[in-house]
Amino acid sequence: MKIEAFIFVVVAVFLAVVTPIYWFMSKDPTGTTALTLTFGLGAMIAFYFMLLARRLGPRPEDRQDGEIEELAGEYGFFSPHSWWPLMAGAATTVVFVGLVFAWFILIIGLALSVIAVIGWVFEYYRGDFAH
Amino acid sequence: MRPNLTSVGTIVWLSSELMFFAALFAIYFTLRSNAPGVWDEQTQLLNVPFALTITTVLVLSSVTCQIGVLAAERGQVGRTGRLFQVSKWGMREWFILTFLMGAFFIAGQSYEYAELVLHEGLTLSSDPYGSIFYLATGFHGIHVTLGLFAFLLVLGRTYMTSRFTHEQATSAIVVSYYWHFVDVVWIALFLTIYVIQ
Repeated sequence: MKIEAFIFVVVAVFLAVVTPIYWFMSKDPTGTTALTLTFGLGAMIAFYFMLLARRLGPRPEDRQDGEIEELAGEYGFFSPHSWWPLMAGAATTVVFVGLVFAWFILIIGLALSVIAVIGWVFEYYRGDFAH
Repeated sequence: MRPNLTSVGTIVWLSSELMFFAALFAIYFTLRSNAPGVWDEQTQLLNVPFALTITTVLVLSSVTCQIGVLAAERGQVGRTGRLFQVSKWGMREWFILTFLMGAFFIAGQSYEYAELVLHEGLTLSSDPYGSIFYLATGFHGIHVTLGLFAFLLVLGRTYMTSRFTHEQATSAIVVSYYWHFVDVVWIALFLTIYVIQ
């Protein structure tokens, strides 16, 4: 993970240098705030990746003698098919339509969102998948 | 060993959340530099000791959340002792305590809003200060509320299965990332709005 961490360290270091210069040259609060928090964006990911690099050690792709077959194994759980993301997207659309046009549409949208999120989170906890 | 994709995805998503809050901070400082008179007047309305109290509870809730995550990482989902034997608590007990502390913060914030709107006349549309005060603290409050729902979903998952799974530990960990993030954003907002003013 060191190389990924390095990419975001570059982002953070660049902004750490540029932000004070920008402030002293412009005295612009808007841009300075945005740049400061963009530094946070880079620093946060860099910090997390450095933490992972230390915890996990070099992966096969980080080593010169790494072999492709070493990457075999479980990557995580990926749902092969699910309608819930579509439902969640539709519910979110109703929420924002409601924010623009009317309160009652917003309430319907929030109710649909609750159903969609619960359906999504517990999809593999119910019925055939109960464990 | 490879990194957990859910954790990495959560951190990358949180960095984009940081950009969302960057816009709110930028609005705050822009308005403040353009309307210093409004700021001198309206910041007098803030109840700083009260805000400090609910802030302390929110910050401590990050600590209880992290103790819960440590329990989840060693696979201890429930308590092994009696209810008030805190040292025997598992992830559930610590997360429920975190939930209550987060709910206390939201209740305090609602009370603060009610005081400002009803007694001081500061509303979203009353002046530039009101606009950004409610936008910034309100969007943060929505995030805390969504975090509370996330805790309920994580707890719900642990009650629906007979065994505490690796996947459930992952959801507990990523919810804790989110909670710590929202907490840090609040510390920045508190320093901006209540301390620097």
